[in-house]
Amino acid sequence: MLEFIGTIAGNILSLPGILGFSLGLLTRRPALAAVFGGLVGLLEAMIFSGFSLAAAGGLELAVSVAVGVVAGVLGCLVRRKGAMV
Amino acid sequence: MADPNDTRGALRRIWDWFWTPSSVLSVGFVLIAGFMAGILFWGGFNWSVAASNSEEFCVSCHSMETNLGEYRETVHYNNHSGVRAVCSDCHVPKEWNHKMKAKAIAVKDIFYEITGSIDTAEKYEARRTKMAMAVWKKMKASDSRECRNCHAFEYMDFTMQEVRAGSEHQRAIDQGMTCIDCHQGIAHKLPPNYLEEYEKVARALAPGTRPEAHQSARIDAQAIRSFLSDAR
Repeated sequence: MLEFIGTIAGNILSLPGILGFSLGLLTRRPALAAVFGGLVGLLEAMIFSGFSLAAAGGLELAVSVAVGVVAGVLGCLVRRKGAMV
Repeated sequence: MADPNDTRGALRRIWDWFWTPSSVLSVGFVLIAGFMAGILFWGGFNWSVAASNSEEFCVSCHSMETNLGEYRETVHYNNHSGVRAVCSDCHVPKEWNHKMKAKAIAVKDIFYEITGSIDTAEKYEARRTKMAMAVWKKMKASDSRECRNCHAFEYMDFTMQEVRAGSEHQRAIDQGMTCIDCHQGIAHKLPPNYLEEYEKVARALAPGTRPEAHQSARIDAQAIRSFLSDAR
């Protein structure tokens, strides 16, 4: 459990959380923001595993993508709420 | 001036103000101010992370006194070359994502310090095996990543090592072993039956893989420690 929570927190403070959120700010379409975030999550997991799916680990990869998706959608919601364009 | 007809609560008013488009600030001002605030925040964050990696910070908790005492008797604290590995060198990864994960997990230590889970020698000994196994598990799973920040098979000259060390390191390469497979207890005292406990960790992480490799890696840690003490 601790490992799982740590993985989530680590990803929030890493590329999926920060870059995913930032990319989400670029669009008003939640689906597109989720895709952006998910891709960042996937990219980060692949970069840190040396571009090996086997080395990435299922849980690490899933959490990374999920955090990216949530961060992207959150960024999109901020855009919709806080920007007129 | 507050509007007397405004019935919104304080939180609601702050929320609405937060999301109201600015009519007095230019986009440039907001961007520059946000950029500067970002630098300040990120600088502060990085400084805090670096500060929490210092040995002084790690041992500032009462619970860490036993750890510190044991570590001070090892070659990683005091040695002929004057190079010291502090707590974070072995326990905190260098890579950003792994580091953030380790820092997030380490928040639990505050809880354990407050509740005094290892604040006496008896409590410490009672949990020694559990704590050691947690660290072994992390190191085994990461292929001893933190050891490899300083030590690498690729840069070892086996001819300059003791005969036994050289042959064991060659065997480790041949059998795909990792540092922690042999080097448990290099900074803290070993728990009783540590070899059996370590094999549990190894089996749990990779069931069915070469337990004989770990079995044949059994070493006499006390003999090695004595040798290192004599050499100093």
